[in-house]
Amino acid sequence: MSALDLQALPGGPLSMAGLLAIEPAALRRLLKSGLRRGVSRTDLAALLEQEWQWSLESPEAQELLAALDQRGWFSQHGDCWKTHLG
Amino acid sequence: MAHILAIHSFRGGTGKSNLTANLACALALKGKRVAVFDTDLASPGIHVLFGFSPTPGQCTLNDHLQGDAPIVDCAHDVTPEQVKQAHGRIWLVPAAMDSDRIARLLREGYQVEKLNDALFALSETLKLDIVLIDTHPGINEETLLSTAITDCLLMVMRPDTQDYLGTAVAIEVAERLDVPAIRMVVNKLPSHFDPEQVRERVASSYDVPIGALLPLSDDLLTLASGGLAVLTFPNHPWSDEVRGLAGNLLETVL
Repeated sequence: MSALDLQALPGGPLSMAGLLAIEPAALRRLLKSGLRRGVSRTDLAALLEQEWQWSLESPEAQELLAALDQRGWFSQHGDCWKTHLG
Repeated sequence: MAHILAIHSFRGGTGKSNLTANLACALALKGKRVAVFDTDLASPGIHVLFGFSPTPGQCTLNDHLQGDAPIVDCAHDVTPEQVKQAHGRIWLVPAAMDSDRIARLLREGYQVEKLNDALFALSETLKLDIVLIDTHPGINEETLLSTAITDCLLMVMRPDTQDYLGTAVAIEVAERLDVPAIRMVVNKLPSHFDPEQVRERVASSYDVPIGALLPLSDDLLTLASGGLAVLTFPNHPWSDEVRGLAGNLLETVL
């Protein structure tokens, strides 16, 4: 399981250089999964389970997704989640 | 969904655009529907290899990234006759060549996310099999995006010490972005170099499979980007290697 300190994440728009620098690697992989056409709800659930052993509905996962959404980095569009680059 | 193939080099002058155009042609000769994006927005040039030059009113990638032109209007059919006979197609999404447009792009920038969305929107609209991205050398926002979204990264280098060092940096970045497949292409290999020694040096430097070793060619220098070598010199060893690379990519990663 990768340690995750949401308070330590920088604010502001996400750049590719910023994505490259993000730690832990699991969070980088999550944001990368939202590039291209985005990541489906099913694949997102699998990724959260694989990286952190969290279900999509768990409080930890919801807190993470809310923190990313709040920064404008990763948000839901229909049945997909997309990464947004500033 | 189309496969994405990013062709990148850490330094300029490696023959990256030449390889991209010829590889696109080799893939299309196998019946594939292919698009080539020129994301070398600061120093575009791949259009020359396809004999294409945007006329007034014809859209370029800049018109989409910095304007409201639909991406499909920026894609131009450049399919050579031999490729049509093989039931393949090639579309080129060129970058603007006017100095004021290049300067504007460098000055104002654009949302790199728009490039990501354009690649996939065009692949759906044109029912593409493969999208090739001709990148700007080095590392910037576009090349990082191209690296992050590619199914296979082709790293092009010359057998030159500076290239060996810079390529190591680019591969480190690619590995950090979990690129699913990477292939090395050594281009402009002088005839007096031992190919086996180069293979060994590349293998020991990067631990990445070698896609092709392409010879330095007087014929290509004479062609001077005035056409596609795989069509003009189909029996040349350089063209043989490019066709071999296309076949290998189709079998293994595309």
